[in-house]
Amino acid sequence: MTGDNAFAELIHEYVGECLPLAEQAADGFLEVERRWNTGRQVDDLAPRLKGLVHTVKGNSAMMGQSAAAEVAHATEDLFAALLADASQREPAALDLLLDGSNLLIELVRGAASGKTDTARVASWADGVRAQLAGHSAPAAVAPGASSRSAAPEAAIDTVRVDFRRLDALQEIVGEAIIAQSRLRDIQRRMAAHLGFTEETAELDASINAVEKTTQKLEDAVMATRLVPLSGVFGRLARLVREAAQSSGKQVRLETAGGDTRLDKAIVDRLGEPLVHLITNAVVHGVERDDVRRSRGKPAEAVVRLSAASVSDGVILSVSDDGVGMEAERIAERARALGLEASSTAADAIYPLIFVPGLSTVDAVSSLAGRGVGLDVVASSLHAMGGSITVESAPARGTRFILRVPVTLAVVRTLLFEVSDERYAIPLAHVVETVRVEDGDIHEINHRGVVLWRGELLPVVDGATLVGAGTVAGEPARRYTVVVQAGTRRRGVLVDRLHGHRSVVAKGLDPALGHTRLVSGTTIMGDGRVTCILDAQRLVDPLPSHASVPN
Amino acid sequence: MSPHLTFLVVDDSKLHHQMYELVFSRGALAGSTVLHAYNGREGYAVFQAHPELTAVFLDLNMPEMNGLEFLARRRADGMQLHVPVVMVTTEDSPDDERRGREAGAWEYLRKPFQPADIERTVARVLQSSVPG
Repeated sequence: MTGDNAFAELIHEYVGECLPLAEQAADGFLEVERRWNTGRQVDDLAPRLKGLVHTVKGNSAMMGQSAAAEVAHATEDLFAALLADASQREPAALDLLLDGSNLLIELVRGAASGKTDTARVASWADGVRAQLAGHSAPAAVAPGASSRSAAPEAAIDTVRVDFRRLDALQEIVGEAIIAQSRLRDIQRRMAAHLGFTEETAELDASINAVEKTTQKLEDAVMATRLVPLSGVFGRLARLVREAAQSSGKQVRLETAGGDTRLDKAIVDRLGEPLVHLITNAVVHGVERDDVRRSRGKPAEAVVRLSAASVSDGVILSVSDDGVGMEAERIAERARALGLEASSTAADAIYPLIFVPGLSTVDAVSSLAGRGVGLDVVASSLHAMGGSITVESAPARGTRFILRVPVTLAVVRTLLFEVSDERYAIPLAHVVETVRVEDGDIHEINHRGVVLWRGELLPVVDGATLVGAGTVAGEPARRYTVVVQAGTRRRGVLVDRLHGHRSVVAKGLDPALGHTRLVSGTTIMGDGRVTCILDAQRLVDPLPSHASVPN
Repeated sequence: MSPHLTFLVVDDSKLHHQMYELVFSRGALAGSTVLHAYNGREGYAVFQAHPELTAVFLDLNMPEMNGLEFLARRRADGMQLHVPVVMVTTEDSPDDERRGREAGAWEYLRKPFQPADIERTVARVLQSSVPG
């Protein structure tokens, strides 16, 4: 990017001079946000802040750093608009302002590498244009009012919609899916009664067409709900700066994949867990610079946050190059809490940090390099149909891997039946379904196992798991559903399989008794309410009584 | 072609000094002497001591003494009034340019600039300072 620029050889001087300016600007905007949120003035800060951003803009332009220049320019415009009109100082606008200043820091810092997250710049700039356009629209109507020329353009291809309207739209799509599966149900029963007739075939084709259209509608509605993660990433960059400052450490946040898009509802719910993990990484995960130097590490610690789309959702990773976790300390603590921690393999020990009560600050964090409340992080991920796993190497660092669905609303599931009750489990967590014959289930240490693909797979009876109570007589389960979450697998013994179904996830009814293993409910074609099982909880270590079916 | 040229750059940005240094060491202006000052006060001291200056590139916004204060002081002192001063301003600030001209700047250079902008400015300054 800087190849053709006359001043390209000064790129390091540019970074050296502009990075502190950009950082001062970001800190200044943070103070501006604080003051505006408490109804105070910023008159004493504004001129200096404008000057900082303006200088970065000018220097970036001279260096041929067009993305940084563009972001600085839009930040200036946005700040000017907010200064001029107090009614525009809504949270979303302030977020844009702070995101812009953080984006600017990243662009300046990355200038020497020549790599620019153009998608993130573009989506942020779109946000600013929409913000400016949204508020300058009435001015454009007034005769003689010459607002910025970019505003009316942006207004043409962007409309701002209250997110609740998109929720309502999604709700309607959900109802259509439920009605349609009811229709499909009826068609199947008719076909069973009447056999193949011209009418049943026609009905089948019509329902097929409706299903396809509904699918398109669902995809289109979904697309309008997707927002990039960069907004959350921007806030985390500030968080790292503040946490590092207050804990007296040098920490740099590196982000990747900020343009990964997810349902806004998921993005909103991801904020808390990410804040938690990143604060932990800075406060408990990485060492102070003097300690790092003595261990031969670079003085500045790095916390990395990345996101990437995969077929069934998005994978986020939060890693640090800090002290890592001490498996033995975690195992000790787990045993003290009466948890099963017989295996010393790190793979078996590390997941225990997500068990409630284990990651308490006094017990683990200071010694094992890991912070508090990881059970809270895990349950908020489970609540949105996601999962979290951890890997760690002592003295080298820790990495948390989060998997989340793209949307909360529609879940692809496998339907199965246990003791006349139907359940759904997210397909993303189903590895395989296997027929079980008599004698396939063995008992080892009072636990049921089956031989599956050459390995011993622990199995549990579906009825025990879902709290359906003990069934009178001999349960004769015929299938094993192999469920995987993270690195753990478990077989669930069920009576019947009902195939794949896209279901609309509804919240949990608090009146429902057994919520531990249930992440939500859905309404089936026949009107029955069906529980959606939480795969992560299914594979968690079990209390010892839930074991062999007989 | 050109006689030996000497420039004074008064700017609080180290990066800008290096940019000028690059421009004055290459192309049409190669071989020029460049004197550096990092605020108006320091710049004024260098300015007083060098009557041979071809031109001064004076940044408008600086700590200690800004560009306009520099020019006001020069006018009050009647100091080196024959030396062309180029006021360096940022884009979109016609007011600054007007004030600069009123205070005695001969030319102005707008940031962001590229080497060609500096070369053109120097050419204009040389033209207007040669009688006839």
